[in-house]
Amino acid sequence: MTFFMVSALVFTLSAADAVKRFTVGFDANFPPYGYVENGEYRGFDLDLAREVAKRNNWQIVLKPINWDAKDSELNSGMIDCIWNGFTINGRENSYTWSDPYVVNEQVVIVKDDSPLRKLADLKGKKVAVQTDTPVQKALKKGGERYDLGRTLSELVVVPDYNNAVMMLEAGSVDAIAMDIGVAKEKSKKGGLLILDEIVMSENYGIGFRKGDTKLRDIVQNTLLEMIDDGTAARISARYFDGKNVVALGRIKSAVSEDANVSGAGFWDNAGVVTLELLKGLLVSMAIFFLTLLFALPLGLLVACFRMSGNFLLRNFFRIFISVMRGTPLMLQLLVWFFGPYYLFGIQLSKLSLFGIDYRFIAVIIGFSLNYAAYFAEIYRAGISSIPRGQYEAACVLGYTRSQTFFRIVLPQVVKRILPPVTNEVITLVKDTSLAFSLAVLEMFTIAKQIASASSTMLPFIIAGVFYYLFNFIVAGVMSAIEKKLNYYR
Amino acid sequence: MDILSINNLSKSFRQQQVLRDISFTVKQGEVIAVIGPSGSGKTTLLRCAAMLENADGGSIDLGGISVVESGKYADKASLKSARTKCGMVFQNFNLFPHMLVLDNIIDAPVHVLGIPRQEAVREALALLGKMEMQEYVNAYPCELSGGQQQRVAIARALALHPEILFFDEPTSALDPELTNGVLRVIRALAEEDMTMVIVTHEMDFAEKVADRIIFMADGMVVEDGPAAEVIHNPANERTKAFIAGLKSGF
Repeated sequence: MTFFMVSALVFTLSAADAVKRFTVGFDANFPPYGYVENGEYRGFDLDLAREVAKRNNWQIVLKPINWDAKDSELNSGMIDCIWNGFTINGRENSYTWSDPYVVNEQVVIVKDDSPLRKLADLKGKKVAVQTDTPVQKALKKGGERYDLGRTLSELVVVPDYNNAVMMLEAGSVDAIAMDIGVAKEKSKKGGLLILDEIVMSENYGIGFRKGDTKLRDIVQNTLLEMIDDGTAARISARYFDGKNVVALGRIKSAVSEDANVSGAGFWDNAGVVTLELLKGLLVSMAIFFLTLLFALPLGLLVACFRMSGNFLLRNFFRIFISVMRGTPLMLQLLVWFFGPYYLFGIQLSKLSLFGIDYRFIAVIIGFSLNYAAYFAEIYRAGISSIPRGQYEAACVLGYTRSQTFFRIVLPQVVKRILPPVTNEVITLVKDTSLAFSLAVLEMFTIAKQIASASSTMLPFIIAGVFYYLFNFIVAGVMSAIEKKLNYYR
Repeated sequence: MDILSINNLSKSFRQQQVLRDISFTVKQGEVIAVIGPSGSGKTTLLRCAAMLENADGGSIDLGGISVVESGKYADKASLKSARTKCGMVFQNFNLFPHMLVLDNIIDAPVHVLGIPRQEAVREALALLGKMEMQEYVNAYPCELSGGQQQRVAIARALALHPEILFFDEPTSALDPELTNGVLRVIRALAEEDMTMVIVTHEMDFAEKVADRIIFMADGMVVEDGPAAEVIHNPANERTKAFIAGLKSGF
């Protein structure tokens, strides 16, 4: 096995000496531009890139990337370009761009039974957008379509379009703003409608490392050749049903290399970033404290049921713990959030409690149950570690079962389980970032958004410092409690 | 009047029978020492009498309450009132490590019997005085020596006013120099006519303190008689061998 891996490595290395490699970075969740089908990378942009490589006699390497890390991937040389329905507008100065080769429209999709038909109907509605997309930027304060964005009741930022469509179907948002290409793809399965009025249009280009005009020129010239000889149109027909969704052709670049759009320095301001992150930190802390509030007592209850003499009860909770610990928390969050709709058809917008969005409630349910399972096993270990003599002494002194538990056993259990509980609590601080999967704007979500909008690592570093400080305080508090309980051996 | 009466008691752990057809009685004010080789069933007998272990067959009457009748246990209420009749002192003390000495003693009177705290404290202080432990009222068990812990455990058992007190090898976990303090307080209790059943290996102590000695072997009562007689003039061969063995050991 190792031998084959080594020889494969040697082979690729020697091949790289002979043939230039052309590494294209793309988001594999972005049909029809780049996606996975039957285990293969397919898509309009990928086919174009393959053809460009073929004509230049390069070896193509298709590299799916984490969209939030695209700048690090490019700047560190892991990829040569970003070619994936990549919008130029708003990013003019961050990359060396090819000429635009696609004019893409940003549209709004709704459920086909929805009364919403015009952009004006979106007033007071919840609209989902994918994180770090041009349409998100445009609808935000300061963006070119803030006139529309300000009328919405909420702009819900989701990690990916699948998530957004699930939320739309489940009724937790009223509409999604997205690329028309993706919108067409998503509406194929039915039940969704694309509004005629467009939000804005934008240009797609190929993004190269800033200053890498040499590679840009070769790729661009080859692409122009392909457009001229009709190859590009044939590739387009494979993905866009012949309908003129994508205007492919020579488009005069509106972007000049020296164009200086200001505003890029906005997020560079560490003070502003810190302020934004602090808002997120409050949400993270709310998740943290509410989870502890529910999970600590719940865990004790689960541990008691798990140790119960009743066969059904004991095994039900054994399975509960096993499932909670055996599946990813992120998946559990999705289940708690979407479950009511997909299982019972309940519209999620109706599930809010005391005006709290069900999104947040689902996060608290998911975290509390998951952590209760971990705490339950810690409690169980603690309870089993109490010597039998303690129970016997309590028994001959006439304590009832519940008196024995609460007066004799539990106080000793608390002391014993403190170190493993501290571990879990510290993990919880960091796990709060998983709330991102339900589009809850906690600190890490905000850090990611700012980072990808401003092409800087600064928000991550500041967020990291906050997480560390938070945990530093948590660890301090826990060790203070431990010390306080140290009055006996 | 019989405080404890045991008839035809039997008990098995899985295949192994540890108590066979045991019968004896304890009168009010009597002190009984139970001796015998390891594995003879002494501790199991005591634990059955203290209701920490369930017997398979036979009967136990405790303080006038029938606990087991021909292997059938009484209802919960009877068991609960029988529990208040007896106290137990363990080999490993089993004090509650998270409670002060004082709280170890008053917790059960206050929370089980509902005695007012002030009254419970007054009595606990008196008991600690008797145990020569009054200066450790506000100590935690981990700050005490084994002998001191055992004396606190005795005070804890006495605080519930049991009619009979069981001791399960009370000095076996102690260093030799610490046993004397514990034996002294047990002896003082005997002089106050406290009814006690003591499983012990301390032969001198048994002879001096016990009214009767029960010698057990293989789960049976082999000999039951006045202390001096069992030690100096045993009737049974096995008793003779056991006592001779102990003497030659020194």
